[in-house]
Amino acid sequence: MSHATTPWGQTAGSAPGGVFVPEPTRPDLTPSRPVYDGTLGELYAIYLRHLVLMIVTLGWSRFWGRTRIRRYVWNHLAILGDRFEYRGRGRELLIGFLFAMVLLAAWAGLMYLAWIYVFHEKPFATFGMFDIFSLSVLLIGFPLAYVGHYAGLRYKLSRTRWRGIRCGMAGSAWRYGVIATFLHFANALTAYLLTPVVSVNLSRPRIANTRLGTLPFAFAGNAGDIYRRYLGYYFLNIVAWIAAAVAVFFTVGGTLESLGVSTDDFLKLFSKPSLRTLLFVVAIAFAAYIVFGLLILPLRCWWQAYLMRYLVTHSRAGNVLFATAISTRQMWGFLVLNYLIVLLTLGIGWPWVMHRTMKLIADQLWVYGAPDGASIAQPPDRGPRYGEGLLDMFDVSGI
Amino acid sequence: MAAASRFYDGITAQVHEVGVRATTGELIIFRPADSGIVARWPIDELVVLGDGNHEAAPPVMRRDGEARLVIEDIELRQRLAALVPELAALDHRPAPLVPRLATLGVTLMALVGLFWLTVDYGTEYAAPWLPYSLQAKLGETVFEELVADKDQCHGAQGLEAINRLANELAQAAGYEHEVTVHIVEGGPVNAFTLPGGILVFYSDLIDQAKDRSQVAGVLAHEIGHVVHHHPIKGIARQYGIDLLMKLVSGGYSDLLNTLSSGGNILLALRNGRAFEREADATGVGMLEKLGLRADGIAGFFEQMMEKEPKDAAAAAGIWSSHPPTQERIDATKRPTTGKPAFSDADWKALRDVCK
Repeated sequence: MSHATTPWGQTAGSAPGGVFVPEPTRPDLTPSRPVYDGTLGELYAIYLRHLVLMIVTLGWSRFWGRTRIRRYVWNHLAILGDRFEYRGRGRELLIGFLFAMVLLAAWAGLMYLAWIYVFHEKPFATFGMFDIFSLSVLLIGFPLAYVGHYAGLRYKLSRTRWRGIRCGMAGSAWRYGVIATFLHFANALTAYLLTPVVSVNLSRPRIANTRLGTLPFAFAGNAGDIYRRYLGYYFLNIVAWIAAAVAVFFTVGGTLESLGVSTDDFLKLFSKPSLRTLLFVVAIAFAAYIVFGLLILPLRCWWQAYLMRYLVTHSRAGNVLFATAISTRQMWGFLVLNYLIVLLTLGIGWPWVMHRTMKLIADQLWVYGAPDGASIAQPPDRGPRYGEGLLDMFDVSGI
Repeated sequence: MAAASRFYDGITAQVHEVGVRATTGELIIFRPADSGIVARWPIDELVVLGDGNHEAAPPVMRRDGEARLVIEDIELRQRLAALVPELAALDHRPAPLVPRLATLGVTLMALVGLFWLTVDYGTEYAAPWLPYSLQAKLGETVFEELVADKDQCHGAQGLEAINRLANELAQAAGYEHEVTVHIVEGGPVNAFTLPGGILVFYSDLIDQAKDRSQVAGVLAHEIGHVVHHHPIKGIARQYGIDLLMKLVSGGYSDLLNTLSSGGNILLALRNGRAFEREADATGVGMLEKLGLRADGIAGFFEQMMEKEPKDAAAAAGIWSSHPPTQERIDATKRPTTGKPAFSDADWKALRDVCK
């Protein structure tokens, strides 16, 4: 940054027309990073207790378990020396879940009436009652999952305090749901060429509607800024898929030859399916997954790391700026390694993933400056009375 | 993390580095620099938010207030907890980690084992107690879904014949409810049972059977599934293990659910093998009890072996839903004595059931 400009890009010291104005006070941009002082062992103790209670209560304790984990993680994370505080309650999540179940039951009732009065209890083509209900839930579930994501974020923020001040989220979850559904639909129709538009336009409401007390966050991102990089990723991705397909083809072909399997044998394998066919298909699928994984995933991580850096550096809270230098390798650890940990440990590795993620945030998020505490007031509203029902219903709530 | 105490007034986001002193009636929060009072909170209105198991530094607040006092200094927290009973939670130190983790881990494993046993063996006794009307409703719904795009056979005499024999067999085994047999046109060469005593035969099985005793044998085998409530037990076990997998994996990952379904399928297949053996034995027993030819089950399996000499079930091992065919032949082999299960007229009607 040059001496002549402020962090907001305005020239300091003189105004247009040569009129002298006093140089504004240079904002404090002292860098700092969050501190996470949670330990893996303690997180595991909380998580194992949560699993024990989950079995004893057949899953009904999940609302309280999730709350306990959040309390631990939030309170062990501090920015500028001040810890976050999570004050959500399990019963608020339970009420949210029950509310969502009532909605689903009402929808099921509606579908049952449609089955009786519209379909006259006769299958439509090969669609029976269960198919019609499942399809309808899928159709409403897609937009509702986005509504649930936004509403869930609002709930979590409303139960989060920093320096004793409640966070919050403005904006309509339903509006977000409509926009997200439309954007994802349009993106799918355009062969995912609209991904930067989707990413930026869905990040904007989530970031710009976030509040710390009366202090709103701001987001200055623009899809045009990241299109060039995305197009590079997009076409490299196509090349990588072709390369991967060729690699798989030759690997499989080579393996078949080395095993002495002729083309006739190969065709026979599929003309008369047997257990051997199944094993063969599984082996091919696994080989394809490995080859695609090695070629495709690093590319994806490269793009995701870039996107994350862009979104973070274009967000601010008042005079506080954010930055991250998260690398492709770190994004690989976040997206791929974490996924494999959860998968290969059958879920028992989840606290480890959470711990790694919090460490990554603490290590990679830079905060420039400090907010003017005196100008941030406690918000008058307390946020929603219950939360995350939709998220829980669609099984995407997590922590 | 700073070791000082921090006071947040709950009105703005200002931070006050403070000192804390407890008197008999008040907690006094003051500025260390000039000892100026920042807040005086009555002891009986103090609330500690959270505990040492979850919060690194549990905040202290005045009841119904927004202000927070966060004491990072552990020794100060311990002193205050000793002095003020209302602040006792500040000195809540978690038990040593390793024994705690070991206890929780062992408890979790024991509960998983107990849950598994409850599901695996509990359903053996509990499933038959599920109200018959519910089982029948479930069976009917599944049947309607399965045959929605298929043609059923409606030959009245043939259906009457197979339903009569099915109910005689069921009664011989002490089954109290009515059994209904449906015949679906075409293949595969198979038959299956749904909850609520609903049997489905494919017409290809009847067409390709060498004689009436084979159809009677397969029917007796399916009635074996009915009288042992295998369909509902299978569903209950599958649901139970699915629930267990979801609970243990925290239910956070769709992929994990897919993996758990894999485990679930293995269990279902194991159940399948046990169920098939039981149904074979019961089927043969019922035919013998009624004085009917009981060699049909083994005969049907032998015919299957002739068509497909390589025993797929034996090759698949644990991946198979059925025991090895040769084992089933050996277990159900019976002499060709006994009354025919169908009269000549009934057997002809059954062969023509789809015409």
